[in-house]
Amino acid sequence: MTEIKKTYKNYVDGKYVRSESGKTYTVELKSESYELPLTSKKDLRDAVTSSKKGFDSWNKLSQYNRTQIIYRLSEMLEGNRDSYVELLVDHGLTKSAANKDIDNAINTIVWYAGLADKWEQLTGNLNPVDGEFFNISHQEPLGVVFTLNSDEVSIDKLIRSFLPSLSIGCSVISFSEKNAVLSLKLAEDVNNSDLPSGSLNLLSGDFTKVFDDISRHVEINALASYKKLNKESLKTINENASTSVKRIFHLPSEDGLSSILPFIETKTVWHPKGR
Amino acid sequence: MDKWEYSESIESDSIVSIKSKYGHFIDGKFSTPNSKKYLKTVSPSTEEVLASISVGNKNDVDSAVNSAKEGFKIWSKTAPSERAKYLYKLARLIQERSREFAVLESMDGGKPIKESRDFDLPQVAANFFYFAGWADKLDISWGTKEMKPYGVVGQIIPWNFPLLMLAWKVAPALATGNTVVLKPAETTPLTALLFAELCEEVGLPKGVFNLVTGDGTTGSELVNHEGISKIAFTGSTSVGKYIQNAVGERDIGLTLELGGKAANIVYNDAALDQAVEGVVNGIFFNQGHVCCAGSRLLLQEDIHDEFINKLEKRMQTLRVGNPLDKNTDIGAINSKEQLDKITSLVNEGVNDGGELFQIECELPSEGYWYRPSLFTNVQPSYNIAREEIFGPVLTTLTFRTPEEAVDIANNTEYGLSAGVWTEKGSKILWTADRLDAGVIWANTFNKFDPSSPFGGYKESGFGREGGRHGLLSYLKVRS
Repeated sequence: MTEIKKTYKNYVDGKYVRSESGKTYTVELKSESYELPLTSKKDLRDAVTSSKKGFDSWNKLSQYNRTQIIYRLSEMLEGNRDSYVELLVDHGLTKSAANKDIDNAINTIVWYAGLADKWEQLTGNLNPVDGEFFNISHQEPLGVVFTLNSDEVSIDKLIRSFLPSLSIGCSVISFSEKNAVLSLKLAEDVNNSDLPSGSLNLLSGDFTKVFDDISRHVEINALASYKKLNKESLKTINENASTSVKRIFHLPSEDGLSSILPFIETKTVWHPKGR
Repeated sequence: MDKWEYSESIESDSIVSIKSKYGHFIDGKFSTPNSKKYLKTVSPSTEEVLASISVGNKNDVDSAVNSAKEGFKIWSKTAPSERAKYLYKLARLIQERSREFAVLESMDGGKPIKESRDFDLPQVAANFFYFAGWADKLDISWGTKEMKPYGVVGQIIPWNFPLLMLAWKVAPALATGNTVVLKPAETTPLTALLFAELCEEVGLPKGVFNLVTGDGTTGSELVNHEGISKIAFTGSTSVGKYIQNAVGERDIGLTLELGGKAANIVYNDAALDQAVEGVVNGIFFNQGHVCCAGSRLLLQEDIHDEFINKLEKRMQTLRVGNPLDKNTDIGAINSKEQLDKITSLVNEGVNDGGELFQIECELPSEGYWYRPSLFTNVQPSYNIAREEIFGPVLTTLTFRTPEEAVDIANNTEYGLSAGVWTEKGSKILWTADRLDAGVIWANTFNKFDPSSPFGGYKESGFGREGGRHGLLSYLKVRS
């Protein structure tokens, strides 16, 4: 019987889509090569529109609910472990390294699932102000976050690039380049995890072709690059970002509580005490 | 309503001694500037020249940054508990010389002595006390020991709360182990220069705190200096954008505390007399030279007339005049330039069709003054409803429903602060949840505390100052 090969597409607004430009780029693996969507500026704008709505629907859910949805993602991964291992091996990893990576990825997801309804207790607090006031620093997610994944062949690394912002309620546009097959493969499990449409959009392509637009786009509240950027890109990004005071994070923490700190807005509310 | 007659009660200025000329404070001492350029700092209430200050050039900034680099070698190895003690000592000295600082602040900046004495200075000391205590508790502040100071921090502060902004910047930066090059505003450098003397007095290691005076060109030299690992800026959104742009290819830290156009929402179930007081404090505190000023009054439609009536009566009792008079509520506008900006925006508001109420009062013949002003009949599209006026000018808009109030409040690129007035608790929480603002005052306004994080959403900047969150602005945190 002839073996059927999978076509990988971008995952935007809960749907699998090709680039409107029709353009693709090739990712060659050991046994297969894939044509992936080369995300265009228009694709990106569509993703932002979706992420804006996704932010609202993701935030309407209780944190308890978000915890369960993220946990479900780990269940999905566990169920499809073999197909990930196979894909990672095709990317050049040994079988044991691939298994280890999936173990790590599942652990990471479970960790962030548990964080989704606790992060505010860890980052917010009452403030002991001088005077008869109730004063509390409440924590809110920043909004729409664009993340650039590193080129490392690792599902765990990929997950660590979007879960810190996603788990606290941001909607995320996750962008991958060389290893985008992993991201677009993950889209299937994301789709099965009850994440609201637009809360997580997964794109593939060439960052150098889109970063000018992304850093200019006023509806993207933050850009976090988990891949080391060259000086030229950093310069353009900072210059563009300055027009709307966009938050730029270069190589933010991928581990622990510090990984979510860039994506938090602190809202401090005062109220007098009295009778 | 006629004002009661008050007898003058002038705070004596004999407590301050101002030199005719100042250099920069670098490497633990005042030095002769490399720059030969000076500018005069004047009292905005008398237009009298108080002193000449150096306009620091590239070489001056260079020396300051180099000194801070050397200072960092010592400071980063100083035991955290020792760093704490230096800050505690500074706090104590500030308390001891608080009256002198307050008078100097009012002379150089124009703010009423009752504010510099009862608000600015107590807050300055409190900031040093508060952050002193964090210096040796950083490892337990955010549940990780993996935190590092940036190194040399460049700090640029505005003219509205000169010494308080210094405290907001310098206290957390030093507590976390960074060293500082500070540039105060060109119109209000004198209290920062006096603070430098205190650093000498407490024996702060050389190079830990450096001060370069000057104007925008000096600030630009500092921002663009390669030796800086982090920039902390408070000021206008336009300069904030310039700085973010100037960061360019450098992978350095940046926090920005920028402009605002805060909505002060008064629902029809608010305690109206309290709300009037809060609205007055919200906009006329410090002549309205406050980034978080409640400059857009949002009134629920059915209380508009009654509220405006009460508000105008209350405004008429405000006393405008000599900042050193203890009775003064509204001091001088900080500079001629700022006065011109306020005047031009208000004229534009009148031309747009806004209805202007200004209190009747005599203004001193010398100095820069502006009458407390209130606009009604304003459309949200008018510039006076959109642009930060940074003066004693309040703009009124109306709404019918809470949803509409939130929409209007958020319909701005700013997101620094907001006010909510209602006696209904659930409505406060509902509204606060929906406002895009870093600080929300409910049934109060313009309250500050070193333990309370302050900073903006959207184009009002990023990063927080104050509180546990304020530490993060000066630390690189991993895991």
